Amino acid sequence: MKRFFKSRELLIMLLLAVLIIITGLFNKNVYKFDSISEIFNASLTLTLISLGEMFVILTRGIDVSVGATAGLAAVILGTTLNLGWPIGWAILAAIITGTLAGMVNAFGITSMRVPPIIMTLGTLGIYRGLMRIITGGSWIENLPQSIKEPNRWDILHVPFFVWMTLIVIAITAYITLKARPARYFYAVGDNEEGAYLLGIPVKLTQFAAYTLAGFFAALAAIVFTSQIGFVSMNAADGFELKAIAANVLGGVSLTGGIGTPLGATIGALFMTAVHSMLIFLGIPGIWDNAFAGIILLTVVYIDYRVRTTIELQQRQSRIRGESGAVGGES
Amino acid sequence: MNLKHVFRSWEFALFVLLVAEIAVLGVINPTFLNIENLLYSTLDFSHILFAALPLTMVIITAGIDISGVSIMGLTSITLGLVWVAGVNIFVAMAIAILIGLLAGLFNGFFVANTDVNPLVITLGTLFMFAGLAQGMPALLDLLGFKAYGSGGLAAYQYEGITGLPDSFIHLTDGSLWIIPYPFIAILIFAAILSLLLHKTRFGRALYLIGVNPKATIYSGVPIKKVLIGAYLLSALGAVLAGITLTSYFTSARADLGGDALLPIITTVVLGGADILGGSGTILGTLLAGLLLGFLRQGLLAIGVTNDLIQVVTGALLILAMATKRLAAVYGEFRLNRRTLSSKERG
Amino acid sequence: MSASAKQTPSTQKSELLLELKDVWKVFAGVPVLKGISFTLAPGEIHALLGSNGSGKSTTMKIISGAYRLDKGTMKIMGAPARLDSPKVAHSRGIYMVPQEPHIFPHLSILENLGIGLSLPPAELSQKVSPLLSELGFKTDLRESAAFLSIAQQQLLEIVRGLLRNARILIFDEPTSALTFRETGHLFERMRYLASQGIGLVFISHRLGEVMEIADRISVLRDGQIVFSNPTSSVTPHALIKAMLPESAEDSSVSFESEKSSVGGTVLEVEHLNSEAFTDASFSLHAGEVLGLAGLVGSGRTELSEAIVGIDPNARGKVVIAGDDLPVRSPAICQQHGLVYVPEDRHAHGIFLDLPSVYTITAGILPQLGKYLLSEDKEKDIGERFVDELNIKVNSIWQTAGTLSGGNQQKVVLAKALAGEPKVIILDEPTRGIDASARQDVYRLIRALTKEGVGVLLISSELEEIVELSDRVLVMYRGRITEELSGKDINLERVTNASFGISTEAKA
Repeated sequence: MKRFFKSRELLIMLLLAVLIIITGLFNKNVYKFDSISEIFNASLTLTLISLGEMFVILTRGIDVSVGATAGLAAVILGTTLNLGWPIGWAILAAIITGTLAGMVNAFGITSMRVPPIIMTLGTLGIYRGLMRIITGGSWIENLPQSIKEPNRWDILHVPFFVWMTLIVIAITAYITLKARPARYFYAVGDNEEGAYLLGIPVKLTQFAAYTLAGFFAALAAIVFTSQIGFVSMNAADGFELKAIAANVLGGVSLTGGIGTPLGATIGALFMTAVHSMLIFLGIPGIWDNAFAGIILLTVVYIDYRVRTTIELQQRQSRIRGESGAVGGES
Repeated sequence: MNLKHVFRSWEFALFVLLVAEIAVLGVINPTFLNIENLLYSTLDFSHILFAALPLTMVIITAGIDISGVSIMGLTSITLGLVWVAGVNIFVAMAIAILIGLLAGLFNGFFVANTDVNPLVITLGTLFMFAGLAQGMPALLDLLGFKAYGSGGLAAYQYEGITGLPDSFIHLTDGSLWIIPYPFIAILIFAAILSLLLHKTRFGRALYLIGVNPKATIYSGVPIKKVLIGAYLLSALGAVLAGITLTSYFTSARADLGGDALLPIITTVVLGGADILGGSGTILGTLLAGLLLGFLRQGLLAIGVTNDLIQVVTGALLILAMATKRLAAVYGEFRLNRRTLSSKERG
Repeated sequence: MSASAKQTPSTQKSELLLELKDVWKVFAGVPVLKGISFTLAPGEIHALLGSNGSGKSTTMKIISGAYRLDKGTMKIMGAPARLDSPKVAHSRGIYMVPQEPHIFPHLSILENLGIGLSLPPAELSQKVSPLLSELGFKTDLRESAAFLSIAQQQLLEIVRGLLRNARILIFDEPTSALTFRETGHLFERMRYLASQGIGLVFISHRLGEVMEIADRISVLRDGQIVFSNPTSSVTPHALIKAMLPESAEDSSVSFESEKSSVGGTVLEVEHLNSEAFTDASFSLHAGEVLGLAGLVGSGRTELSEAIVGIDPNARGKVVIAGDDLPVRSPAICQQHGLVYVPEDRHAHGIFLDLPSVYTITAGILPQLGKYLLSEDKEKDIGERFVDELNIKVNSIWQTAGTLSGGNQQKVVLAKALAGEPKVIILDEPTRGIDASARQDVYRLIRALTKEGVGVLLISSELEEIVELSDRVLVMYRGRITEELSGKDINLERVTNASFGISTEAKA
């Protein structure tokens, strides 16, 4: 089983490589270091949001408010900066905002028993509304240089934010692999009742997942605000759906308990790369969505076929194993 | 069904809320009580009702269809482009309906024949249909339909296709006595769906699937056909919504209805359909749609901003759900207490 | 042997490990436990017997903290206890080894053992290894847990309990998926644990095993303890009497005398094969009860699912009422006169959240009207079956989930009968239902055969098979290994064949 899910990540990586190579046949510019680096840079927002969403999906939940949460955090960041707050405090305020937004979801789902999709759909509306109420509906522009600065930093010709995100991914991957409490996300998603009977704090785990989703959305908000230098009212609009798609692409199963940070990252990278490759191929950006949808459906369909075939084989081999045992006994 | 049953129903509660809401808003702003205004204001949210009514049936099966908002745009742009190509507007409309239904068939087929979560499937088609809608003008250019318009059809993708014939615009600005055509269509649509849901094998099967899909198969119900039917109807609702919006805004656009997802699902859930399947009624969705729609109109009329309304809508959705959940838990608690104490006496 | 697990066995009866008194539990207004009392002493193996739905699992879930009791008291080692969660129960020394072990297939065996505990891996493996050797559990702890056998998974669960210093271990039907040999090993380990002063609750519905391992036996029926005695003073006959409904034997006698004549073939199965069974062939006649016995996992249910086409991968010939049906589905079978009443009525039979009558008519919706469903017709059919099957409901619109287990089963049976079948496959029709409902089901089977319906009766309760069947097929490990008829149908022959004993003797 484990090997198969590893191969899902591999499959997407291979697909990604094929996509890049084929595009390169038509446009040599793709192979340039800067182009690849730019794809990474462009994928950061989605990657971070997808990582947060991953925790929720691992516990067999869903969070469709992450895009709105990122937007709200960005508004807080922009507003506090324009109020003259030092950048450190503004970033802190944005992170607290995102985390709190996640905690609101967590509270509704774990304590008020609202189904995740309903709860987060509700807060999606609330957070988007709050964004506009705070700003009066206008974009936040003229942000101080201090927030745009980090986007220009680079280390070894790789943008600072790419490094930062890589470190975040590495930390997340390490924690989910090694830290015992992080294993609870998998246990709860895999078998909620079993986890409860084993004494695992199920509600707390779910609470943590939605809180983390909010936290990661805030990180994403900081990155894209720095990258584009202003906050639009459509900031991160639709990212909730893209983040879910990225996770599903990367092998994070909506039925819970299966998936890795690497998978979520590759899924997000793939979604972004499709956009970039279309540009390199001279295909208008309007086709983005169509390609994203077709790829998502193709991958889940292949996954479905592979899964059912494997299950059938497993059942057959189990039966064969049994009859083998009969022979052994007699 | 006896009277006691009716008074205790969720639909009755929604009805009382609706009356109370109109009364309160009327007190604040008397023009709100004008029946003609009230009916006219339904035009603003008729697309939500069209989409929400049949979505109820999908949610009863414990499924979900979020691709409807893309089907709206797909229908609209198809209609516009076919018309631009010189086809009669109503023939164009028929072609657009057909395309929308094909989209629904795709959803239904995928859901019925795999075990993939309907949310994932319709998320995929949400992107795919939206992308097709956005790309369609450019695609037609590529295929050599350059003749129309100087900048090619691709220009329509941003501006939308305007100048639609009056006969088409009249679909939404006309009315029978004081009832706008779309509202009449909604009532007829709701009546047909309600009949389907409560009085036919198909409708019964929807509930059975939502409560226990395995048992439904074991009972010999053709579950695949039923599921395909449900998603097809959901697409039909989106198609009607797309046509209404096109006529109402007098412009065919690929991105019509894009922001309607939240209000549509809020309507269905507030209407009493359980996202986990097995419950919900068309009447409930209709009443909830009116409740939310009039609330929006009323709040706008007294100067509340759109943004705050969005916040209120979101909060309402959460509160409605939390109340129902907690009430169910409390209800069972009370029932168990009563059983225990009666056993003690007995 | 580790010092941690080795507790000095307390002097008998000085202090009870566990004491339940007058415990009640109600679900959705239906009482599931009606004032049960239960004790467990250190070093004791106390068996709790009862059919599914009798309240066994509920009792165990209350003891292990998964459910809270609605009324009554619970004492652990003499002190009153309020167990709000399994975690609290663990801290009070209680651990349940569930029927289906909770395995996280994506974690290693060591991680599976340690999950829910705050122990660093090094310390964990240090604690685990002596426990493993005590239990004779040889395995590589770094392996993925996905490949453990059921028996190993159970050992893993036992180790989980011992890691939590459990003084009370509950085994919920641990032998249902084990082979004979594995069961023997498990019993050895259970005796060893008891010798360490741990109290064990052993839940089962297998008389032989209970008589073999338990010190004390209690029988739970319909939410009440109807029998509780030390094993030394218990005879199998007394146990059977306690478990079965009071009048079961009388009715079976009258059943024999009223046996109807057997008619032509209504179901023919030839060389049916699937992943779960091999080369099944048999025929069933009108007016006949054909018993199908065998252990859980012997392929009984899979065979019936293949017959009705739920398993599309099965290959072979199935002839229903003269029609050869190469392609089958429940719907097609129904049209040709065969209905299947599945074993797991909650998962496959009933629609709990809907009115009871919706379940009854689920299979015959086309008969309720060509275009529109007729409420009158539905009401007629619903009320007819409520009368005929003696279903206790307030009205046919009462939500099925609020009915008792027996009445739920009758609703499921009504669904099957509504289609007026020529052949009916009953998979465990009396599992978990109370005495009087059981009688009603027996009466129904008799009425059906009189009308010339062929009945394929699948049951784990071999007594039931023996008493009701005209012929008996026994399945063992996916094969029909025995066909019995006439005087050969007796408990001993059927039991032996179910455990593959006669098969191995031949080999």
